Amino acid sequence: MAERADDRLVRLLGLVAYLDGAGPVRLDELARRFGVTSRQVREDVDALWVSGTPGYMPDDLIDFDAFSLDEGVVHLTRARGMTRPLRLGTREAVALVAALRAMHASPPVQAAPERAAVVGSALAKLTAATGDAASAVDVRLAGDGDPEVLAAVSSALADGRRLRIRYVNAGDVASERDVDPVRLLTQDERTYLVAWCHRAGGRRTFRADRLLAARVLDEPAEAHDVDPDVDVTASVLADGGPGAPVATLMLASPARWVAEEVPAESVRDLPDGSFEVRLRVTNPAWLRRLLLSNAPDVRAVAPPDVAADVAAAARAALAAYGDAPAPGDAPGA
Amino acid sequence: MSPPPSVPPAERLLNLVIALVNTSAAMTKQQVRAGVAGYADAPSTEAFERMFERDKDTLRSLGIPIVTVDPGGHSDEVGYRIDNDAYALPPVDLTPAELGVVALAAQLWSDKTLRTDISRAMTKLRAAGAGEAAADAVAGITPRVRAAGDAYGPLLEAISARRVVVFRYRAANTGQVMARHVEPWRIAARGGGWYLVGFDRDRQAPRVFRLSRITGRVRVTGPGSAFEIPDVDVDAMLGERVGVGRTAVLAVVPERAQAVRARAKVLDASAHDPRPDGRDLLEVPFRSRSAFADELAAYADAVVVLEPQDLRREVLHRLRAAAALASVPVGTPDASGEAVHRG
Repeated sequence: MAERADDRLVRLLGLVAYLDGAGPVRLDELARRFGVTSRQVREDVDALWVSGTPGYMPDDLIDFDAFSLDEGVVHLTRARGMTRPLRLGTREAVALVAALRAMHASPPVQAAPERAAVVGSALAKLTAATGDAASAVDVRLAGDGDPEVLAAVSSALADGRRLRIRYVNAGDVASERDVDPVRLLTQDERTYLVAWCHRAGGRRTFRADRLLAARVLDEPAEAHDVDPDVDVTASVLADGGPGAPVATLMLASPARWVAEEVPAESVRDLPDGSFEVRLRVTNPAWLRRLLLSNAPDVRAVAPPDVAADVAAAARAALAAYGDAPAPGDAPGA
Repeated sequence: MSPPPSVPPAERLLNLVIALVNTSAAMTKQQVRAGVAGYADAPSTEAFERMFERDKDTLRSLGIPIVTVDPGGHSDEVGYRIDNDAYALPPVDLTPAELGVVALAAQLWSDKTLRTDISRAMTKLRAAGAGEAAADAVAGITPRVRAAGDAYGPLLEAISARRVVVFRYRAANTGQVMARHVEPWRIAARGGGWYLVGFDRDRQAPRVFRLSRITGRVRVTGPGSAFEIPDVDVDAMLGERVGVGRTAVLAVVPERAQAVRARAKVLDASAHDPRPDGRDLLEVPFRSRSAFADELAAYADAVVVLEPQDLRREVLHRLRAAAALASVPVGTPDASGEAVHRG
């Protein structure tokens, strides 16, 4: 796909301003700095070379030293007044400052003081440079998790060490595992540890708020070929594959988040604002939890044994409440 | 289709910027058309006008301050130049570790629009001479925010210009879709959702809108500077979705609800009246009552809420609905659970 003209313009202006301050720079070093190929930088230099002020006589043009370029070094000899780096546009400042603010407040950063200090100083410098336009967007990553556990995971990641974790799964069963941490991902409201699990012999995703304990081991973490870009939310929530059974839920409008946030097979809007969502479920405990939590907005469930299972669990719970009554709670209110 | 222009758009824009930075006073449109490389390609005056207007918009959106200059006594044509004082980025001077942090922050957005915006910001910072990025300060950490969707662009534009927006919105409690006229104040992301905080002109009151419930396009309408943006407390406006910190007392079956235990303080069960029968007594902090009730109801009989009463009622409300959950047939031909693949 062709690069957008505005993206290229920003780099063209950026190259001139940078080279004016930096002196001669190797082509491959420029390419790395601006995140493009050497070939692209060469094309950019060619474009700059024929650009300048109206008239476009030799002295009007941006100029480079041709001999240096033959040796792979870009040496700017005339900048035509374009020596200053361009300020950030409102949209750019917003995207940058909102991201840093969100990162600064996120639990994995807050868990390590020296880390929070680096993010905080970067944020302060950029806020000073961009002014207050950036407050138009306000992003907060919650992502709960025990700060001590997060600090242990962070330091294992930084030092490349193995971790021993105690983890409780969605079915409320705890286990102890040795894992090689790959990354700590804070996505929206949750933090996840993506790791190679030696007990399972594969890549696993652990919710940080279900990590009961984490201890850094002396052994180094091994390198594993795992895909870091798997849809973490989907794999943790439903863990459904193409062969898993399908459940159909009819939900009232307030439960719309289910359609938005759970990996659904299909979603169908109904005329009255309610909707029908089809889910592929390999983990019945997960579905039971989903239905218990959202029961007031559930209009119908199929297949029938799912509804029966949820109703039985709810009756047992109501009985438990009856056994431990609290003042002011009239039965059936 | 017209033949490809002899000067690529990026180079035309570059020549326009260089010309407007270097001009002694200002350039008129005619001077731009006749003098700046790339504009002679326009086949007609109308095509030139369109091209020049679009280019000015592009440059302004990149933060390049193009100003208009009133014509002098002899001319009636407006001139253009770049405000050199407002052009430059103030010195930022990031350390390698700080630049590493900025590079990581660039990965936060899942949105294509926001990613474009932030990668451009990165290019400008690199041009300002920041050193090599060092990633070790934030090794292994990946923050990410769900995509905001198509509404983000027009909403941000409207906030920056303080213009009113109009969109169709699906109400959460009724499911009804209605047009809303809003003075936009802030775009906020919390707990996986994107929100617009602003003044609802139809309701004549401040309101919060969830971006995912906006159906169709957001139109930016009316004049600029149409309202003032107050100093809003976004968390207070989002209210229950975020909540204030409180503590609950729970009676929990031994060994169960371990994720709740992980953030709980164990209380002395014998000190509590009535004493929970064979259960552990836990004190747990929480913020959002409804989110906590969702979590606790899911444990069914393993967790009984003793305090506070409003949390207890919320959990009981869920459990009673679940106990009555009727297995009404869902009324679709393939509701029996057979495999149907999406897409």
